[in-house]
Amino acid sequence: MRKLLFSLLFSAGSLAGFSQGTSQDSAWIRENYYKIEQYIPMRDGIKLFTSIYIPKDTTEQHPILMTRTPYSCAPYGSDKWRNFTAGYLRYYLREGYIMVTQDVRGRWMSEGQFVDVRPFNKDKKTSTDVDEASDTYDAIDWMVKHLPHNNGKVGVFGISYPGFYSTMAAASGHPALKAVSPQAPVTDWFMGDDFHHNGAFFQMDGWAFYSSFGKPRPRPTTVGPSGFDYYTKDNYKWYLETGAIKNILKLTGDSIAFWKELYQHPNRDAWWQARNARVAMYDVKPAMLVVGGNFDAEDNFGAWNLFKAIRSQSPATNSHLVMGPWYHGEWASNDGTHLGNVQFGSNTSFWYQNNIELPFFNYYLKGKGTEPKLPVATIFFSGANEWKQFQQWPPADKEDQTIYLQTGGGLSETAPSKKSDYSEYISDPAHPVPYTEDVHFYRTREYMTDDQRFASRRPDVLTFQTPEFTKDFTLAGSVIADLQVSLSSTDADFVVKIIDVFPDDFSYEPQAKGPVRGHDQPKTYPMGGYQMLVHGEVMRGRFRESFEKPVAFKPGKIENVKFAVADVAHTFKKGHRLMIQIQSSWFPLVDRNPQKFVDIYTADDSDFTKETIRVYHDSEHPSKIILPVLK
Amino acid sequence: MRLILLLVLLSPFWCCCQDRRGPDYVKSNYDKLEAYIPMRDGKKLYTAIYTPKDHSQPYPFLMERTPYSSGPYGDTLYKGSLGPSPALMREKYIFVYQDVRGRYMSEGDFEEMTPAKNRRSDKQTDESSDTWDTIDWLLKNIKNNNGRVGLWGISYPGFYASASLPDAHPAIKAVSPQAPVTDEFIGDDANHNGAFFLLDNFDFDNFFDVKRPAPVKNYSGTIFRANISDAYKFFLELGPLKNTNKPEYFNHQGKIWDEYLGHSTYDAYWQARNIRTHLKNIKPAVLVVGGWFDAEDMFGALRTYEAIETQSPGNDNHLIMGPWTHGAWAGKVWNKFGPLDFGMNVNDRYHEIEKKFFDHYLKDSAAGAFPEATVFETGTNTWKEYPTWPPASARPVPFILKEKGGLSYAKGGSSPTTANGYDEYVSDPANPVPYIDGVRGGRDNQYIITDQRFAAARPDVLTYQTEPLDSPLTITGRLKADIFLSSTGTDADLVVKLIDVLPGKEEGISTPQNQDPAGYQRLVRAEVFRCKFRNSWEKPVPLVPGKVVEVKYDMNEIAHTFKKGHRIMVQVQSSWFPLVDLNPQTFVNIPTCSESDFQKATIRIYHDAAHPSLIMLPVLQ
Repeated sequence: MRKLLFSLLFSAGSLAGFSQGTSQDSAWIRENYYKIEQYIPMRDGIKLFTSIYIPKDTTEQHPILMTRTPYSCAPYGSDKWRNFTAGYLRYYLREGYIMVTQDVRGRWMSEGQFVDVRPFNKDKKTSTDVDEASDTYDAIDWMVKHLPHNNGKVGVFGISYPGFYSTMAAASGHPALKAVSPQAPVTDWFMGDDFHHNGAFFQMDGWAFYSSFGKPRPRPTTVGPSGFDYYTKDNYKWYLETGAIKNILKLTGDSIAFWKELYQHPNRDAWWQARNARVAMYDVKPAMLVVGGNFDAEDNFGAWNLFKAIRSQSPATNSHLVMGPWYHGEWASNDGTHLGNVQFGSNTSFWYQNNIELPFFNYYLKGKGTEPKLPVATIFFSGANEWKQFQQWPPADKEDQTIYLQTGGGLSETAPSKKSDYSEYISDPAHPVPYTEDVHFYRTREYMTDDQRFASRRPDVLTFQTPEFTKDFTLAGSVIADLQVSLSSTDADFVVKIIDVFPDDFSYEPQAKGPVRGHDQPKTYPMGGYQMLVHGEVMRGRFRESFEKPVAFKPGKIENVKFAVADVAHTFKKGHRLMIQIQSSWFPLVDRNPQKFVDIYTADDSDFTKETIRVYHDSEHPSKIILPVLK
Repeated sequence: MRLILLLVLLSPFWCCCQDRRGPDYVKSNYDKLEAYIPMRDGKKLYTAIYTPKDHSQPYPFLMERTPYSSGPYGDTLYKGSLGPSPALMREKYIFVYQDVRGRYMSEGDFEEMTPAKNRRSDKQTDESSDTWDTIDWLLKNIKNNNGRVGLWGISYPGFYASASLPDAHPAIKAVSPQAPVTDEFIGDDANHNGAFFLLDNFDFDNFFDVKRPAPVKNYSGTIFRANISDAYKFFLELGPLKNTNKPEYFNHQGKIWDEYLGHSTYDAYWQARNIRTHLKNIKPAVLVVGGWFDAEDMFGALRTYEAIETQSPGNDNHLIMGPWTHGAWAGKVWNKFGPLDFGMNVNDRYHEIEKKFFDHYLKDSAAGAFPEATVFETGTNTWKEYPTWPPASARPVPFILKEKGGLSYAKGGSSPTTANGYDEYVSDPANPVPYIDGVRGGRDNQYIITDQRFAAARPDVLTYQTEPLDSPLTITGRLKADIFLSSTGTDADLVVKLIDVLPGKEEGISTPQNQDPAGYQRLVRAEVFRCKFRNSWEKPVPLVPGKVVEVKYDMNEIAHTFKKGHRIMVQVQSSWFPLVDLNPQTFVNIPTCSESDFQKATIRIYHDAAHPSLIMLPVLQ
């Protein structure tokens, strides 16, 4: 979430190449729009601050397109305008949309109390029973009744946290709401978005975000919170030296309420279950377009799983999914050609904007064009670098194929025959496996496609790979890791990484040069033998049986750890290999497991212990990966 | 050795040092003569002789003997520049280049690091006799010479400069061995302390070891083609050393390669190739030149100076050590290396000294007061002069490894405080510690100075560091590692690294953009030791599993200041790959051992009262 906030606030400056076109747009917008700022009253009397850009044109009725945000509808002041011209949003203005941004309850200039991922209340009884769905309902209701020349049709969209508010808008049930697009929607902060993945704490994202975002706002303001002051710009060092995560809490004391609350809910208890946005996705009325990035470090889970929830819980809903090869929010940017060192062969963001999102809103809100023949799922396959469209996800012609970890680092369809065999490593909390190679501070978005050779070289990373593929091999659906492990202690994390190993002589066309690991280095990165992370995921071992009730491991006992790595859409080209890496830390992305069955949020530095981890690959205890292979 | 070749063939700074004059300058100021000079055994050595067109005075000879070609061949084709520096070319000498016996256009058989013979019969030859015979011929056949000869050479040619010294022809007055290959088992090129420098050797011998049926102007390519994009992966997959002789690689076509693999201890083969034993009773003045960042022959420079100093005490012997990579002093400009910025062109001072040295001893045209040792101090980036080397005012101070990653020392060098316990790691030959981060095809010579944070993050690297220094600490002189260890295996490598930890951004180091300079772990010195040689180079002995042994070894001299606020760090690890070949961690003959001999081992580094592991720093008082 954090990254998107930054990119929304600061991206304008980096898009100088568009300045000529945009200055013309800018003049056009000023001539054809006016801005008002409005406090819209909610049913409980609280007023929400709303910025509204309205076409001067009165010859036709205009639809309303709204984003509700905790990140501010800045700039404030009716003479200060948002820079619509830097990106594709200017096309909505050309189409005459009434563009609305609203500060959600309790943030920035809106009244009321902010509640993080405010639980959905499906049984609202009185006017004091408010949630984000009711706030959206009330905002829509006021707007269709008061805004001049509106056509009575409303759309809501938003990326990241605003994606969560889009989901909640869809649950509002207001009859004027016709189309909603939750994009990288924050959906479940315990299971897969932002703060935790399978119960493992994404401390770096969480802390970078909440050390600022989580500060109290006693009264409406146009001024944002300040950031945290770090003594080093080496995140590996800072998190390692800060130590047990209770030490991070000490840095803020009680000042950040949500940070403190997090520490009180180490398991997926009722508190977290109430904060699962999917519980709101029943009987969804508007057309839905869920959008996400396959390389989104923050809310990849939210996009896939919100969509799945809508399909299963609200089957009658007109719902669609688009997943591109994107970092968090890249689809709204001007450049969807690459991420890190990996190229996608075309500007996937432009393609999405022009062929999916604009036609979607234009049809449902303006009645423009024929009903867009959107298939259920429009998915970009990296590797092959092509869009594929399906009438269901996972596709009907997907077949699960099991590959087994083998002695000596192989991966094959044949189950191992040896009676007893395993690979082992020592996981040392004093030397956790870095999640990316270079010294840096802010979590990179490129780590999602980074070269994993630095990790292969470590003794605490297990590597298994297939022979070279003799023809293209495409994954379309959920990859399952199904491991047989034993520990010398009572808890461990398991990070499973799906990797595309490029041929040794691989190189992109010379003109296709991306930045090297996000740095502006002039040289091209050596792509021969590149180990491209396709997707990695962590499982906190204690949750292997239940996320509600963690269970300790018994030292030396062989146990099953099975979890969904992610939904993957990737083609391993002929000549490439599929590699699986297994490790027990991913630092400082994920907090360190003390490797002892204690409450991690209150654990002491002295609780952190080395342990030996064995991953078995024998006939009795075959470890395997279940791959969704597209036939 | 390898790099100097690249430097000659490819390096842009070599072009700079031609002073933009090129063959036209040479041609208009020098005449070229080619001669096949007969040696005492009848073999003829190709020699190119460039004499000044100006005949107004006699000139001394300045000669380089080389295995890397004296070309271009043909009396109408001229070199782009002559001599060790443009200033010397302008000064006018008779410049002589000779293909050594058995290389390029010279007759005879080439032998790796030709063993010196102490007593010569009429027909027996070595490099000293070949040099003698050449000089004898030159004095008699080249007109207008003043009867004096100088020699210089970098790297392998540095060896030939050294090899001219024993029983030197009396006309030889000044010799400058520069990064001279000196002892390839103990510290240069092929091995350091018995550990095989796989990455360099594999690449170098592929080109250097190509057979020659008869004298040639060009050798035909390389023994094999290997397109290595990721050296770490390539050598890991290649497996045991013997696989280098697979049909697709050396295939036993490399004579030197097979000699290297055939001599895995300091046996007669290597001992005969240690030129130091012959550096006795040396008469000519000597100027030894070496680089602190020379990945190939830093050892050779320091130990050649030392051997002459101790074995020929009356010799007019001098040392220059600068912040150079292999041969970088020959270029016109050297003010930066990787992230380091020296704040000056260090080659200006060097070229001045070098020119004076030859001018004084060969022409009497310069004053002869040379400091004994002219040494560049890293950290402060200053040139220092010392009347003795190492400086007498340096005292060895033990820096003791402590529990919890501490490194402590007693100021003034008093006895160490006691310490407790040990640290351990698993050294796994399947996942060795890389010698540098990132993916690289060839050896990146910046490994010798770059950030070691990538290594500190590994579980198989131990890190010890002092508190931030409250005052600067200058070390100048011999560095020694003294480590107590045990292993579950029967052999192990020990790599000790001395690191300067930066407290923040500072002048002289441009740490990578977007990376915090605070905590940058600048490598100052690293050296490997193959533990089987801890008692004897000739007779290796196994480790006894679980038994503590002391491994004590030299890490050569150093001249560095750790500034106030910096920390001194030591890292200990048991692989440095693929710079150094993998130790199987079982006691076997490594060049013939098998995949199955390579075993994980748990290695303990002790720091208790009875086993105080330490690094000895020469602290300048």
